[in-house]
Amino acid sequence: MATVRISLTVNGKPVVSDVEPRWPLVEFLREHLGLTGTHVGCDTSQCGACTVHVDGVALRSCTLFAVQADGCDVKTIESVSAGNELHPMQAAFHQHHALQCGFCTPGMIMSALDLVRREGYELSEETIRQNLEGNICRCTGYYNIIKAIGAGAKAMRNASAG
Amino acid sequence: MYVGKPLPRPEDFRFLTGRGKYVDDIKLPRCASAGFLRSPHAHARILRLDASRALKRPGVIRIVTAQDWAKAGHGKLVCVHPMPSSDGQPMREVLRPAFAAEEVHHVGDVLAAVVAETRHQVLDALDAIEVEYEPLPTLSVTARALDDGAPVVHEQLGSNLISEILRGDPSLAKQAFARAAHVTALTLDSNRLAGNPLEPRCYLASYEPETDHCTLWATTQVPHMLRRWICKYALNIPEHKLRVIAPDVGGGFGNKVNFHVEVSTIVWMSRELGRPVKWTATRSETLQSDTQARDHATEARMAFAADGKILALQVDTIACLGGYLSNFAPSIPGNSYPQTITGLYTTPALDLRVRTVYTNTVPIDAYRGSGRPEATWVNERLLENAAREMGIDVVEIRRRNLLQSSDFPYKTPVGRVYDCGNPPALLNRLVEMAKYKELRQEQAELRKEGKLMGIGIAAFLDKSGTGPSRQLSTRGGLHGGFESATIRVHSDGKVTVLSGSHSHGQGHSITFSQIAADRLGLPIEDIAVVQGDTDRVPYGNGTWGSRSASVGGTAIYRASETVLAKARRLAAHLLECNPDDLDYENTLFFVKGTNRKLSFAEVADAAYHGASYPSDPGFEPGLECTIFYDPPDLNDPQAMHLAVVLVDERIGRVRIREYYTVDDCGTMINPMIIEGQVQGGLGQGIGQAMMEHVIYDPDTGQLLTGTFMDYAMPRASDMPPLQSDYLCVPAPSNPLGVKGGSETGTIGPPAAIGNAVVDALWHLGVRSIELPITPYSVWRAIASASAGEA
Repeated sequence: MATVRISLTVNGKPVVSDVEPRWPLVEFLREHLGLTGTHVGCDTSQCGACTVHVDGVALRSCTLFAVQADGCDVKTIESVSAGNELHPMQAAFHQHHALQCGFCTPGMIMSALDLVRREGYELSEETIRQNLEGNICRCTGYYNIIKAIGAGAKAMRNASAG
Repeated sequence: MYVGKPLPRPEDFRFLTGRGKYVDDIKLPRCASAGFLRSPHAHARILRLDASRALKRPGVIRIVTAQDWAKAGHGKLVCVHPMPSSDGQPMREVLRPAFAAEEVHHVGDVLAAVVAETRHQVLDALDAIEVEYEPLPTLSVTARALDDGAPVVHEQLGSNLISEILRGDPSLAKQAFARAAHVTALTLDSNRLAGNPLEPRCYLASYEPETDHCTLWATTQVPHMLRRWICKYALNIPEHKLRVIAPDVGGGFGNKVNFHVEVSTIVWMSRELGRPVKWTATRSETLQSDTQARDHATEARMAFAADGKILALQVDTIACLGGYLSNFAPSIPGNSYPQTITGLYTTPALDLRVRTVYTNTVPIDAYRGSGRPEATWVNERLLENAAREMGIDVVEIRRRNLLQSSDFPYKTPVGRVYDCGNPPALLNRLVEMAKYKELRQEQAELRKEGKLMGIGIAAFLDKSGTGPSRQLSTRGGLHGGFESATIRVHSDGKVTVLSGSHSHGQGHSITFSQIAADRLGLPIEDIAVVQGDTDRVPYGNGTWGSRSASVGGTAIYRASETVLAKARRLAAHLLECNPDDLDYENTLFFVKGTNRKLSFAEVADAAYHGASYPSDPGFEPGLECTIFYDPPDLNDPQAMHLAVVLVDERIGRVRIREYYTVDDCGTMINPMIIEGQVQGGLGQGIGQAMMEHVIYDPDTGQLLTGTFMDYAMPRASDMPPLQSDYLCVPAPSNPLGVKGGSETGTIGPPAAIGNAVVDALWHLGVRSIELPITPYSVWRAIASASAGEA
């Protein structure tokens, strides 16, 4: 199949690549860039395991074609922590046992960070619940995820103030 | 002491940073891609299958069908837990084939596999395979499976019956019903579920022709069992030529125990082609190929004395097992369900009949809860309806019937003996935590305002910690119930624990480290846990049925004790004293009353590098112990749930306002992990109660819930405010006192929420509610109640 050349930024680095028009962005990230932290859980934008940031906004990379990301700034879970130090949101997930099998976790973190961007550092439980509509976790019943996002948002404020 | 502390998990770091290693994350050079052609029909004859056009598509390497499978001399998928009929007749077994040959028996049944250079080439080739079907009459409704004239799934059997299991004493039950002051009868069907671990199944096989050795990375909870099944039953290859690795696995819930149709073909193709082959399921594929769960049609009655004491329970269940028998399927309705059907009550007489049947649906098999949610739904719905009919409060009727702690060990009418517990204490705690009396007052006040609030309870038990192996074998089981553990002390005194269990979210690494660190008297940082690799870990039975802590944990406990005893013997030898003269504290062996000491690490060093060791017969160098621990008994975790619901009568919407749980899971090794398991189980239990439902078209057997857009599962906003507590009665059958702690969440919610909804609607004449409790289900309940009144 004919390929299309795309140029984009992925996790801060410029990428130029020839892709088939039918490749979803997640396939490009996982199979061609080796960024396997972004997962595919449902193929239909329902579970959110494939959530990445495109130009700063959380999107489902399973239903976005790679060609649509041409010229965009894409950030994946691999870009969140600095070296071996966890980002405050990741640290909160660890502290609050907000992950079990870990498969939904990268998508949860990317959605949580987008939520903080949109709603700020003080997040009510209700706000978090409503904004997690696009992410399915099959392991935790969400209780600890909700706690972790609230705590992680506060920790982000402290980190940015410090 | 580490046991009892809520220590966080070491594996979190790789998951949080996107560095987890799930099967699909593993990329090998020269890896080919595989895919499967699936039946779009629920029941059809295959008239013609022509792959010649598909073979010519770009990149296609091989296409195989049932003919090739047969030509290669391969076998079938195995049913490892047969349940013969109670009259001694063997069950009527039709095993799941790797490829359907003449007929397909459910939507998703596999007809062919394509291997090509890339995934997209596979998809293109699958589209190019031509198949001509002759559709046959289809059966997809469980309750109709044994009707006269019902379509027969496997013509050669003459009917859809697999086996008929009878338990209890029908004549005793009959007498009890004859003298009962009150009888409550209900239809209590259990909805069919899809387990849906978020990671779709994936297999990667890599064969090296030079060594005739194949490595399989698999999304499995049972790496050793899977190796055995592939080698012994499907492909007939020697076990030492296949290594199965279960790396990070994204949830299992029982689904990834079961022997699925695709895996053997991936190994076969890699061996044939001499290169790696990978298949990753799409979500549409998992919904038509992963084993599904529950799906019972049940009529049940409960007889009571005038004082509300249960006299007898009669249950007649048709349990669907799908289009073929999957490997543990018969034991779920045939064993787990009867063993927990009388729950936590002293039920003197039971008359239970379970008929297992085929329908043109995906095979049923183990999924978190397995038989206990179905049993609890029956027992607890009957009890609460009876209480209301007899004018007895639902807490009071339980007080009159609950097993007392002095009743244990308690032999149930099916013969199973429950080990220990204190159900009245669980009930007291539940009622106190929920402020039950105040809730009833609030309910009455809201009712005056026209608001419908309901309160429902579920009291029940789990069945955890399978084996013992001998017990399994007397039932004809083709698998063991033991668990393996190796404690390997390295020459610097650090320790690797190799466990036959497998964690796919349950946090075994920290839990097992806590057990080993305590028994070895070492800092927890000195322990690492390895699992999920048949070439590194001794044969284990893997993780399912809440068995890892009690069976796998005890194996680690025992092996640690043996290793420490050997270290003590060696320390005594090196310090020239009697082992009894040694104290061991803070990783140091001291000769009592002296300052002569050796550290655990120094002893380990001597075990590997010192020439001097005791001349005791049988004493060898090294410091390592492997054991295969077979438990003497199962264990019986218990729990009680209380749900408070608000029902909007006009639109049938149910809101769970509050939810309470009290669990007795014995000793809690890591309370944080247990709490996570209870909460996660609730997510699935509330899913079954409120929304989850695999739906097949009743006429065509077409799968109507084939994506996550159609199969509803709880989202964050669906989960109610939760308050939980834990009361511990240590299990007598293991030295840790632990019981299973991860399935109660799936067992209680349908009954607790169902009871609450019926409570809210009782005054409208509603006596029954169908699962899942969607607005439509509520609307139907109200409509049929008012029709009944009219």
